[in-house]
Amino acid sequence: MPGRIIEWIDQRFPLTSFVKHDLTGYPTPRNLSYWWNFGFLAGFVLVLQVATGIFLAMHYKADIAQSFDSIQHIMRDVNYGWLLRYMHATGASAFFFVIFVHMARTLYYGSYRAPRELMWWTGQGLLLLLMATAFMGYLLPWGQMSFWGATVITNLFRATPFIGDQVVIWLRGDYTVGDATLTRFFSLHYLFPFIIFAAVGIHLVALHTVKSSNPSGINLADKDNIPFHPYFTIKDLYGLGIFLIVYSVFVFFMPDSLIEPANNIPANPMQTPNHIVPEWYFLPFYAILRSVPNLVGGVLAMGLSVMIFAFMPFLDRSRIPGGAHFRPIFKIQFYLFLVDMFILGYVGYVPPTPQTIVIGQIATLCYFGSFFLIPFVSKAEERWLMQRGLPPEITALIEKEAHDKEARKKTPLRRKGDIA
Amino acid sequence: MRTLMNTLWKAVLLGCFSLPVWANEAVLEKVAIETDVKSIERGAEALMGACHSCHSMKYLHYRDLVSYGMDKQKVETWRGDQPLDGAILAQMGESDAMASFGKVPPDLSLMAKARDGGANYLYSYLLGYYLKADGMAGNHLYPETKMPDVLNVSGTTDAAQHAEIAGQARDIVSFLAWVSDPHEAERIRLGYYVIAYLLVLTTLLYLLKNQIWSRLK
Repeated sequence: MPGRIIEWIDQRFPLTSFVKHDLTGYPTPRNLSYWWNFGFLAGFVLVLQVATGIFLAMHYKADIAQSFDSIQHIMRDVNYGWLLRYMHATGASAFFFVIFVHMARTLYYGSYRAPRELMWWTGQGLLLLLMATAFMGYLLPWGQMSFWGATVITNLFRATPFIGDQVVIWLRGDYTVGDATLTRFFSLHYLFPFIIFAAVGIHLVALHTVKSSNPSGINLADKDNIPFHPYFTIKDLYGLGIFLIVYSVFVFFMPDSLIEPANNIPANPMQTPNHIVPEWYFLPFYAILRSVPNLVGGVLAMGLSVMIFAFMPFLDRSRIPGGAHFRPIFKIQFYLFLVDMFILGYVGYVPPTPQTIVIGQIATLCYFGSFFLIPFVSKAEERWLMQRGLPPEITALIEKEAHDKEARKKTPLRRKGDIA
Repeated sequence: MRTLMNTLWKAVLLGCFSLPVWANEAVLEKVAIETDVKSIERGAEALMGACHSCHSMKYLHYRDLVSYGMDKQKVETWRGDQPLDGAILAQMGESDAMASFGKVPPDLSLMAKARDGGANYLYSYLLGYYLKADGMAGNHLYPETKMPDVLNVSGTTDAAQHAEIAGQARDIVSFLAWVSDPHEAERIRLGYYVIAYLLVLTTLLYLLKNQIWSRLK
């Protein structure tokens, strides 16, 4: 009977071939390290956020007179409301943590390079959607930091040429952040995750066309590929277990460590907090914003600091595969960039003093400098590595990749089941 | 390039470590919160005597105190003519408070979470009163405060009496910590079960992963 049902479905919907193409037969490089677990984890956290969010929305009130109270209602009166709320608040941080590791892995191993540019760019789009969703969600508790964070960030749109003031009013629905802002942010905060789902679908279609990259940086021969299921389903589940342990430590034992104390005070438009800080995941970009003394310049620098990742496929001109794996200079650049990110995060967190402003400006220069130097450094590094003599296995890898590229040009990529 | 980055990096590091960023932040006295019903009830009693006339705790209802396990008689005394299901509101009206202090005293429901330092901040604040030169009470931690020295810290010179006041402050802070997060004990208890479950599950998944991957050769 089950066989007949599946047959009935298969005549109407490609169920079996889908499972075979994308799961049981989906070729995955066997040398993937645990750094390749984070894409799956991001998908999991997305589902977790949507699941907890739907239940929170059942008890939340999007009304400036009631939203702060409704959060306390969830925390105190709703059965396991405190669990839902802490899972959702911690989940936002977990989402960014997982995405940042996912991006760092892509940068380290050069996974953004041909033929995976579209994966990188759809991922960039996902990052923007995630940032927008998180930013709007942060307004909903209607605490002091919610209000002032939203005020500061929407105010940045004043930098729009000619119609800046109108754009700010249009975004807020009012002259100041108020009830109109709260209701629209709630509406969009509920909508955006579903757009993210669609974008993840596109990200995955691209992935299943170009397949996963791997630490060696080249497309591996068939013998080095193994089916996704069961090998990577179980590996992903094991990684998920580790992730959930860390996540649960935060949810159950230190949930307030990620919530600013000032957000436990109801929003008060008449009283600015001493020090407005965004959530930790925005700190480096916030530091870049503050490092430029001029509003338009700061907004442009902050926008560019997020979008500049998209240029990586053009900036990195080295043909040596495997990203930082086989490239010592690129590796140094990568780690220096991470250090720079942490410095920017610190500068974004502390109240500005003359010293931190100077440090922030130097770190901002280093941030952009490290991107602008990549074309020259990567080319020089490639020449240097070639001159020094590459290990034979890398030479073989490069030759094979060049050969594969030629072959790909002749026969465009196809799915296995496609009609020729 | 490398030497340039190295120099920059050193400069940045040196800068970071020599920053007097936190210098203006007062040092807080650390307090170990009590979590048993008796101590929290003592804290509630002290608070009802010293703070309740001006401060509300609108997210807490009198009934919550009873269902937490406090003495019903005491709760009855505290609530006076207020309903048992009603929120704990200040005895003084907002307009009266405005007239006396120039501002409405803040609600205390979330006070233990609403300040950097949490319970330590509240404890240091309550004990931070001292006698100024003009004979008025000032506060080290929050000089602009409008709150009078309700525990009479500034008027006490006797060490034993001061220790008693410190104990009272500790009870009040413990009560406020409970009020700010009444499900905390339940959360931590559940947390241990969740972590234990996840450890077992993850170990099994790890073993299963090894078993499945051992098929590859």
